Amino acid sequence: MTPVVQMSGVTKVYRSGSSVRTVEVHALSGIDLTVQQAEYVALMGPSGSGKSTLMHIIGLLDTPTEGEYNLGGQPVRGLNEGQLARIRNQRVGFVFQAFFLLPRLTALHNVALPLVYRGVSTPERLKRARQALESVNLGDRLDHLPSELSGGQKQRVALARALVQEPDLLLADEPTGNLDSKSSDEIMGLFDALHRQGKTILMVTHDPDLGARAQRIVRLRDGRVVDGGMA
Amino acid sequence: MNPAREAPAPRTNNPAGSRMNPLENFRMAFESLWGNKLRSFLALLGIVIGVFAVTAMISLGQMATAGITQDLEAIAGRSIFVQPNFGEGHDFNTAPIRDVDIRALQALPARVIPQLFTNIQYESRPGVRRSMQLQGTPGDLPRLDPTIRVASGRYFTESEARGGLAVVVLSDRAAADLFPGRQAIGQVVRFFYPGGARIELTVVGVLEPPGGIFGGLGAASTAYAPTQLVWNTSPDARRGQYDFVILSLKPEADARQVTQQVRRIFEARYGEGRYQIQSTETFQQTLQSITLILQALLGAIAGLSLLVGGIGIMNIMLVSVTERTREIGLRKALGATSGQVRQQFLIEAVVLTLMGGILGVVLAAGLLLLVTATVPFFQIFILNPATILLALAVSALVGLFFGVWPAARAAALDPIEALRYE
Repeated sequence: MTPVVQMSGVTKVYRSGSSVRTVEVHALSGIDLTVQQAEYVALMGPSGSGKSTLMHIIGLLDTPTEGEYNLGGQPVRGLNEGQLARIRNQRVGFVFQAFFLLPRLTALHNVALPLVYRGVSTPERLKRARQALESVNLGDRLDHLPSELSGGQKQRVALARALVQEPDLLLADEPTGNLDSKSSDEIMGLFDALHRQGKTILMVTHDPDLGARAQRIVRLRDGRVVDGGMA
Repeated sequence: MNPAREAPAPRTNNPAGSRMNPLENFRMAFESLWGNKLRSFLALLGIVIGVFAVTAMISLGQMATAGITQDLEAIAGRSIFVQPNFGEGHDFNTAPIRDVDIRALQALPARVIPQLFTNIQYESRPGVRRSMQLQGTPGDLPRLDPTIRVASGRYFTESEARGGLAVVVLSDRAAADLFPGRQAIGQVVRFFYPGGARIELTVVGVLEPPGGIFGGLGAASTAYAPTQLVWNTSPDARRGQYDFVILSLKPEADARQVTQQVRRIFEARYGEGRYQIQSTETFQQTLQSITLILQALLGAIAGLSLLVGGIGIMNIMLVSVTERTREIGLRKALGATSGQVRQQFLIEAVVLTLMGGILGVVLAAGLLLLVTATVPFFQIFILNPATILLALAVSALVGLFFGVWPAARAAALDPIEALRYE
């Protein structure tokens, strides 16, 4: 069975400074990481450990300086920006800490947004968006603007927006970071349910309680995997 | 486990590939502009004014040309005017127009109206003499020259003209000068030639005053009498010679071609430069080139306001890109390519300027209707589809041109940076 995420020797180096004196920052060094299908993995580590950089590379928002990365069996090396955008649209569903809903669009249209870039017709798009919102128990908030929703509801809209893509990988970055504990439980409950349905989830968090709900914890320190890189 | 997950082959969500429908960008553009109604309106105001100015300028120019043409036809018709060249030391009498010339002209597709004129005096009060022009014409002139219209009475007939009878038709001004506040028809006027000879003529008709902005040009105080009578009585008129000839063109005649033919006739007989040959068409062309120059000048000023409007659009689009950095980051994270982001902002700019263009054209049409309804000179409402198309094309191009840079900036945003942007 093809792993969803398969990384070997991934390194990310940021260069800065002038041509005379270049400063190299090794954000990631030799990362080996595998996430199998239907796995629920938590990515943990102190700030500055390279969590965000790793998440960006996994989500194809960034590319490795060195090393191999296959997403759902698809090698990423050598793909151009447009190809990466298309694969991102097809295979990766993001859930961000700050929700990132477009303020002028209703919940329904926010959820339908990723499908715009896939060329799905409007009625089909709205049908799937409605189903996705119903799956996160927001079937009664379709025409609400983000400003009319609570934090927990906003994050559920964002989750529906990721689910509507039917991604290979659900990539969540501190999804409860902006929520109170009640909304937090609600969102985590949804992730648990999605895991039971067989979705592949990678969650970046620094909260040990959230990490404990995952099947496996990958720990990062100073740009290296110190624990849990392989299934 | 979901069996569909087993084969991560390319998805078949969309048989046409993962290209988005270009109409989506228009919908998004309207959504975004509608969300910022006041700002969008202010941003496109410059374009509105620019397009309004360009459209109004072109159309007013065309309307002025049409008005001038119409007025000119009312006073002069489509005609060619031939007279001896007074310049270059030619004496008036050395180059008259003769009967033989008239006969040659009669072969052309025009009605030939040979005429002569002379100065004459009348007594406004006992002992006070004033000047007036006496013009010798063929009979039944209104039939030959459609610009001559009788207001009351009649024009003298061809047989009266041939017989040289003592009859006269007065211009509107002449009637007012000779018979202020009185009915002229049926009265007898007494004229004195400069040499002292006296003639008495019976008034048979009064002409309509010429209309339009050129009316003043034709509003001379003139008495029209049979050519034969003038030859018989004037001390300086010679039988068989005329001072000028008007060729009133038939509808099918080509003015330029006939002008050439007239020129050839006179040049073959008398050599170059002795006669002045002018057609109303050349006069019209001169006027048209003047309006064209005016139009070009005013159009350049209007173009300048379009430039300023375009810079305003660029400014507002740059602000919009900065403001929506996170939106752009999100769209890219959700799978928008740089090309799609660029297209979105470019279309937004074009939609903005195009709406400004439509508004400008509507305002211009309103002004033109108002002008047509209130200013007598502008009688015909002209707003060419070509002008509208030009105005809209220019406004779309302004949007495209000034939207390129902001759109490129949006497209170049790094999604990671953009999502972090506060």
